[in-house]
Amino acid sequence: MHDILLSISDLNVSYGKKAILRGASYDVRRGECLTLLGANGSGKSTSLNAICGFIKPTSGSVKLMGTELAGLDPHRIFAHGVAQVSQARDLFPDLTVEDNLRLGAMRRGSSTAAQSLATTYQRFPRLADRRKQPTRTLSGGEQQMVAIGRALMSDPLLLLLDEPSGGLSPQLCEEIAQIIDILKAEGVTLLMVEQNLNLAFRAADRFIVLRDGQAVDGGDVAAMAGDHEAIVRNIYL
Amino acid sequence: MHTPAESRTAPRWIFWLLPILALAIPLATNPYTQFIINAMLIYTLVTLGFSVVIGNLGQLAFANTAFFGIGAYASAMAGNALGLPWLLTVPLAGLAGAAGGFLASAAALRGIRLYYLAIVTLAFGELMRWFYTHAGALTGGTDGLALDRGDIFGLQLNSDTVQFYIFLLLTTLLVAGTVNLLRSRLGRAIVAVRENEIATASLGIATSRIIVTAFVWSGFVVGIAGAMFALHTGRVFPESFGLTQLIINFAMVLVGGLGSVIGAVLGAVALTALPEYVRAFPGMEEIFFGVIVMVVLLVMPKGLASLLRRVSPIFHETHHRD
Repeated sequence: MHDILLSISDLNVSYGKKAILRGASYDVRRGECLTLLGANGSGKSTSLNAICGFIKPTSGSVKLMGTELAGLDPHRIFAHGVAQVSQARDLFPDLTVEDNLRLGAMRRGSSTAAQSLATTYQRFPRLADRRKQPTRTLSGGEQQMVAIGRALMSDPLLLLLDEPSGGLSPQLCEEIAQIIDILKAEGVTLLMVEQNLNLAFRAADRFIVLRDGQAVDGGDVAAMAGDHEAIVRNIYL
Repeated sequence: MHTPAESRTAPRWIFWLLPILALAIPLATNPYTQFIINAMLIYTLVTLGFSVVIGNLGQLAFANTAFFGIGAYASAMAGNALGLPWLLTVPLAGLAGAAGGFLASAAALRGIRLYYLAIVTLAFGELMRWFYTHAGALTGGTDGLALDRGDIFGLQLNSDTVQFYIFLLLTTLLVAGTVNLLRSRLGRAIVAVRENEIATASLGIATSRIIVTAFVWSGFVVGIAGAMFALHTGRVFPESFGLTQLIINFAMVLVGGLGSVIGAVLGAVALTALPEYVRAFPGMEEIFFGVIVMVVLLVMPKGLASLLRRVSPIFHETHHRD
C-alpha cells in the first residue's frame, strides 16, 4: 500500500463553457516524481492550476493528506504546503535573486527563512554568486533555478513543476533533470508537467496520461524499460 | 565581484547627514525662502505617500490629494472643535489619512485596476472636496477653516523657523520609516504585488493585506503632511485639494522617479522651487512650468533619481521602478 500525499477525484474544470478537465482522477504518492503527459489541451497545466487554486474546479476533490483544497484561495493552498513553479516562472524581474527567494519564505519566521536561504544556495551555488542581481539579468536556466529555489523556500509537501524545461537548451534541461534528482533524493514529492519526453522519463518515477481531461493511462516509468513508443502513441494518436 | 546590473544599497548613515546639515538652513534664509523650504518638506511627504502607492505598489490610484485634504481638515477641525494644540492634531491627521487610505484600498481590493481605479480614486478626492465645501460650519465651506496656531513649549508656531524644525523632524522620521518599510519583508511583498499579483498570491502572500497596508501607510504619511500644510498656511480651503494640486503632485512623483524615495524628495524640492523661479515671467508661469516638466521627463524618463544613480551606485534603491 502506497502512502498517498495528494488525491484527485473526479476533478472537473471549465473555462467558461469549455470543459478542460472532465472527471480526472489520480493520486500522487509521497516522495515520488509523477509526470503528467498528454497532447496540448489535454488538461495538464489546468490540473496544476486547479491544485494550487489559480482556477476553481467546477466539481470534484483535491485532497492533500485528507484535507480538501478544492475551492481555496492560492495563498491558503500554499500555506497547506503546495508550491508551484509555473511555466512562465513568475519571477519578480526588478527584485534581486535574494529578494525573490525570500518572498518564497514570507510566511515563515526570519530564522527559518535564513536557514532555507542557506540550503537554497547550497543546492544552487550559482544563485549565491548572483544573489544581489535583479532576476531580469539572469539566463533562462538561472531564472528556472530561482523559480524552483523560491518554491522550495517554503519547504513544501508537494512541488508542482509546469514545463521546467520550457525554453531551455538541452544542456540546461540536463541541469534541471539533475536538480530534480537531488530533490527526489531529499524526499521532495513532485508533480510535473513536461512536454520534453526525454526529461519526463529521465526524471519521473511514474506517469499519468491525460486525454480530453481524463486520466486514461499510467504506470511506472521503470517498467517501460525505455520503450516509450506505446505511451507516445497513446498520447498523440 | 559586482556586475553593473547588481543592485547596491547606500550605507544608511550617509542619508542621516542630510537632515543634520539641513539644521543650518534657517541661518541662510529670509522669511520668504524659509516659507518655500517648509513647503518643500510638506510636499516631500505628499510625493512620498503618492509614490508608495503608484510607484512601489503599482496601483494607479489618485487619492493622495484626498488624503492630504483629510489630514489638513482633521488637524484644523481637531484644533478648532476640540481645542487641541496643533502638535496633538498631527497623529490624528495621520490616522484620518490612514482611514482615507483604507477606504481607497477598498476599490483596489474589489479588483478595480488601472484607469478604472484612477477614476474611482479621483472621484473619491472630488467627493471629499464637495464635502469640505458643503459641510457648513464643520469645515467652514468655501471660506475654509482658520487655524489657531498657538505655541509649543513657549515657541510660537507661526514662526517659519519653528515650523521648519518641526517639519524637518516629521519628514525625516516618515522618510526613514518609509525606507525601512520598503526594505522589510512587507516592502518586498509590496513590490512583488506590483510586478505580479497572481504570482505573489501563489507564494502564500495575502495580497489584499499588502494592498491595504500600502494604501494605509500612504494615507498616514500624506495625512501628516496635511496637518503640516494646515499649520504652514494657517487656513485650509477646499480648493487647496483639487485636481490642480493632484496634477502637480503626480508631476513631482514622475520628475523625481517613480517608486524612489530619493526621487520623492528631489521631485518635491524641484517642483516646489520651480514656480518661484518662473514667477519672474508673469502670465507665462504655467507655460514655463509645463515645458520644463516635459523636458525633464523627455531627457530623464526615470526621473531625477536616475541621474543620481548614474553618478554613483550608492543612490541605488532596492525597490525603485526601473
